[in-house]
Amino acid sequence: MAEEQKQGQEAPAAAPRAEGGAPSGPPSGGHGGGHSGPRREGGREGGPRREGGPGGGPGGPRRGKRQYFRKKKVCKFCVEKMDLIDYKRADILSQFVQERGKILPRRMTGVCARHQRWLGVAIKRARNIALLPFAGSAAGSTAPKAVEAHKS
Amino acid sequence: MEERLYDLIFIARPATPEDEIKKVVTSIEHACTEKGGKIEKAEHWGTRKLAYKVAKHREGMYYYHQIRTTHGELITELERRLRVQDSVIKYMTIRLDEDLKRQKKLTEKREKRAARRPRRPAATPAAPAAPAPEQQAAVS
Repeated sequence: MAEEQKQGQEAPAAAPRAEGGAPSGPPSGGHGGGHSGPRREGGREGGPRREGGPGGGPGGPRRGKRQYFRKKKVCKFCVEKMDLIDYKRADILSQFVQERGKILPRRMTGVCARHQRWLGVAIKRARNIALLPFAGSAAGSTAPKAVEAHKS
Repeated sequence: MEERLYDLIFIARPATPEDEIKKVVTSIEHACTEKGGKIEKAEHWGTRKLAYKVAKHREGMYYYHQIRTTHGELITELERRLRVQDSVIKYMTIRLDEDLKRQKKLTEKREKRAARRPRRPAATPAAPAAPAPEQQAAVS
């Protein structure tokens, strides 16, 4: 692996050298009018690149987005000082579960790491005793209903 | 063996006659008394919608027991009995005491911390003191 990485590092390093060598080649080879042409082109190309490099265009909006005020999420369980998340309280647990039954990530709900750990355990326990769905409850509940309707 | 606390939940078929459910509950009680367990709580949650189909049923009657025991075999015995019952479509036992112990520890820690803090709130007596002189001025 280390060797591959080294080779990878060398390859990009070698490429610029080759590029650097190529522009230097034509001026040395060509004389008179040939000189001015490539040099001017090089200068024009260099200009836009420099403008793009600092990221005045794309970089600006990104910084602007970061400046948006983001409401700081606070862990609900910490606020209520819960030291135990009861798996029997399906009403609480269902707030931290998607419609399909997926456990919502911490970055969405703002739950702290410790409570998220307990929450995961509680949700899994609740799933075991049919208080919460495992997955796909939305599709699972509609399809059988239709079948039952046909039968009746 | 130290004492342990368990949650025992079982779901019965929605249209089970009461006699059968009584049978199940009494068999649980019998097993507890035989093997040296104690039922701390016994609740009936009523008929609830199941989150997914269990044995082709969308609803089920939930029964909840909290059992304290020093003998682990009691739990295996209870699970065996529930498995045999036809009216029971799902059951679950969960060990609770470790979680409760952790909870106790954390609440104690929090209370200790809360007891240490209340040195700061010295600013509150200053607020009622301020309006008092005004009242005096109004009187005079």
